[in-house]
Amino acid sequence: MLNNISLGRYVDTGSVLHKTDPRVKVILYLVYLIAVFVVNSPVALLALFILTGIQLITAKIPLDVTWSTLKPVLPLALFIFILNALTIKQGDVLFTWRFITITDVGTTRAVLMALRLVFLILSTSVLLTLTTTPLKIADALESLLSPLKVFNVPVHEAAMMMSIALRFIPTLIEETDKIMKAQESRGANYDTGSFLSRLRGYITVLIPLFVSSFKRAEDLAVAMDARCYRGGSNRTKLNPLKITGRDIAVFILFLTGAAILIGIQVFFGN
Amino acid sequence: MANAISVKSVSFTYRTEDGESRSTKALDGISIEVESGSYCAILGPNGSGKSTLAKIIDILELPDEGQVCVLGVNATNEEEFYRIRENCAYVFQNPDNQIVGTIVEEDVAFGPENLGIKLPELRERVDEALKYVGLYDLRKREAAALSGGQKQKLAIAGALAMQPKVLILDESTAMLDPVSRDEFLDLVEKMNREKGITVLTITHDMNEAARCEKIFVVEHGQVTMSGTPAQIFSHPDVIKKAGLELPPDISLVYEIAKLSESQVAEDDIKDRESRIKAAVRFAESAKDIPEAPVHDLREKKRKIMEISDLSFSYDNKKTYALEHINLDVYEGEILAVVGKSGCGKTTFISHLNGIVKPQSGSVKLFSRDGNIYTTSKKKDIAEIRKNVGLVFQYPEYQLFEETVEKDIAYGLLCQSKEQENLKARVKEAATMSGLDVETLEKSPFELSGGQKRRAALAGVLIMKPQVLVLDEPAAGLDPKGRADMFEIICALRDSGTTIILVSHNMDEAARYADRIFCIKEGKAVAEGAAEELFESNERARGYGLSMPILYDFADMVKKELLRKHPEISLMPPFPDPAKEASSIVRSVLHAE
Repeated sequence: MLNNISLGRYVDTGSVLHKTDPRVKVILYLVYLIAVFVVNSPVALLALFILTGIQLITAKIPLDVTWSTLKPVLPLALFIFILNALTIKQGDVLFTWRFITITDVGTTRAVLMALRLVFLILSTSVLLTLTTTPLKIADALESLLSPLKVFNVPVHEAAMMMSIALRFIPTLIEETDKIMKAQESRGANYDTGSFLSRLRGYITVLIPLFVSSFKRAEDLAVAMDARCYRGGSNRTKLNPLKITGRDIAVFILFLTGAAILIGIQVFFGN
Repeated sequence: MANAISVKSVSFTYRTEDGESRSTKALDGISIEVESGSYCAILGPNGSGKSTLAKIIDILELPDEGQVCVLGVNATNEEEFYRIRENCAYVFQNPDNQIVGTIVEEDVAFGPENLGIKLPELRERVDEALKYVGLYDLRKREAAALSGGQKQKLAIAGALAMQPKVLILDESTAMLDPVSRDEFLDLVEKMNREKGITVLTITHDMNEAARCEKIFVVEHGQVTMSGTPAQIFSHPDVIKKAGLELPPDISLVYEIAKLSESQVAEDDIKDRESRIKAAVRFAESAKDIPEAPVHDLREKKRKIMEISDLSFSYDNKKTYALEHINLDVYEGEILAVVGKSGCGKTTFISHLNGIVKPQSGSVKLFSRDGNIYTTSKKKDIAEIRKNVGLVFQYPEYQLFEETVEKDIAYGLLCQSKEQENLKARVKEAATMSGLDVETLEKSPFELSGGQKRRAALAGVLIMKPQVLVLDEPAAGLDPKGRADMFEIICALRDSGTTIILVSHNMDEAARYADRIFCIKEGKAVAEGAAEELFESNERARGYGLSMPILYDFADMVKKELLRKHPEISLMPPFPDPAKEASSIVRSVLHAE
């Protein structure tokens, strides 16, 4: 029941974007993250839509994967939309019924906020999670943050922790599914009944999940010890990061895209 | 030859979180020596100190007393610990908990990367290791998406890439199905043979142990016996006392010898040929006709569940996990559901109490009170969950309460907050699952593995289900734990509970089940008694099953007997070694 979520999953299509240096992607991601929050004019939104579309096509991500990435956040997007539409009272009134008042500013803002969330998820997926293995993201962060080592920041350790956390997401999802089914067989309830009984239903899943995660963590630590892990010093890499001409091209291309986007925003924005 | 591993009078005591020593020693002055290039097994019941010993050898734990010397390196300081770990690879029991890399090849590279191996050698080592274990084509895959057997091969590849001289397997095959287990062991034996890697395997599987050169039996933190498999298995009483068992084929040799009042010598069981010859010789020398064995056939009683035309697909009907399954379940029987890993067994049993709803077809329960419930109707679900208990694989993961008592009571309290005689019912369920009453006060997380399993079983039994569905109830237990678990299951059946049991172990399925139901690639391919399904090797293989080891061996003994005495007539096999021995001896003596 939890298996069809691809949020945070890696899907290998062998595209250019997959082969691009993860550091380039991390920087581009930050740029687009800022863009998503700056953009508010409809024309710029359209441009952002086109750019994200180009990224998705470049990454050769199939439509059904895109859809299953978005699906879990749609309820949240809808919630944000409704909340904004109902609470913003500025502008001309479009519609009113009892205590509900919908205004044009409210609607635009609501659409904008919901779309921002959608674009946020899409950018994160296409630039990072779908096209970059967690280990590469961790590598990129390690490399980009390595100047901080001077200040005794444990950059390698933090990157390792992150990549392991990401590595265990599918395992934990599978485990959650298994425990939920087992507790449901014993009569646990997750979706009907009073709030308390539902909460209790989730507790029966969370406690075993925590207990087994601790056990896994312990096992993994021993396994890493057995494989001679001694921290970052003297470690080599199977796939070391190397910037190539193609990486630079991708970087310039999408950076230009972002610049045009900001340009449109400045020109059309208020 | 030189010793790869030498452990001298090592003692070790685990510490509690407060840093105090626990009362019992995990290892108590243990000494073992493993020859370089040999293939050895450590046997022993749960909690005997086997895994601790393996961890001490790989310096994952440090001994309190005594000496450890691996490949000529004495473990005395930190640099030496790393030198030992470099040369000593370790594969653990749970495949998921030892994979560090997200992608297959990244995980294989983890070890050599830690050793500081540079490119291009690093790439060569990784590719070579992946090719050796047969995962090269999957090198770019997500490691989490591999099957259990593939994950253990990945662990082997990760070990191999470090080019170790010693390989320690800590119950590495416990979570694998028979086919994956055989593949895994073949691979390990190939490494031992071709690369001269010393292999030390800790196992509960006696057949696996019988494949080794040398066995160490560990009990209470000491080696109580060591020798070749033939030497070890020629002491059946000692084996039994240590909570272990004989492999089914050797067990049959002993049973036939018993009927002919002969003694089994070490040479009689040293390999397959000698075992067959010995069995034939003993059968021929028998004089008294033993009592005729009977199949315990149970008459088919009332139908209690009916599964009709059940189909299920995870991917919108592109492929089917289950396809048009029909099955009737009768009250008071043990029905074994068997089939290869991934054939749809778990999906099938998840349908039985409505955890998964049928996409087409139906699952019906004919309750004792005369009502008919179907899992497709929402209002029937509560009744079905109450009457069809489902225990998943490794159910100890579902424990969550503060005390065992509360945990067992949970399911009952979900049905209704007010329960009469709650305490008495908890006690009853605990007793049925073989749990001591004293443990009820404890936290479930303090219990041993076997006790946790029983507590989880009790948590389902408390609802007094009419049908109990068990997914691999004995997985990961030691031989005594397995035997105890099946005793509990048979007792439940005798008290009127219908049992549906998923099993990978064909010997156990044949021995304990009244009927076997086989699924292959989502389709029902066979249903019947063990002697029908396992009538011949070809037939079993056609269903995607491996033969029970006992049947396979008995078949070879019978073929040899027929060759020598073409006039005798043989009976179909029995799943119990004693009965099979009687059947063979009777046929040789021409008893009608």
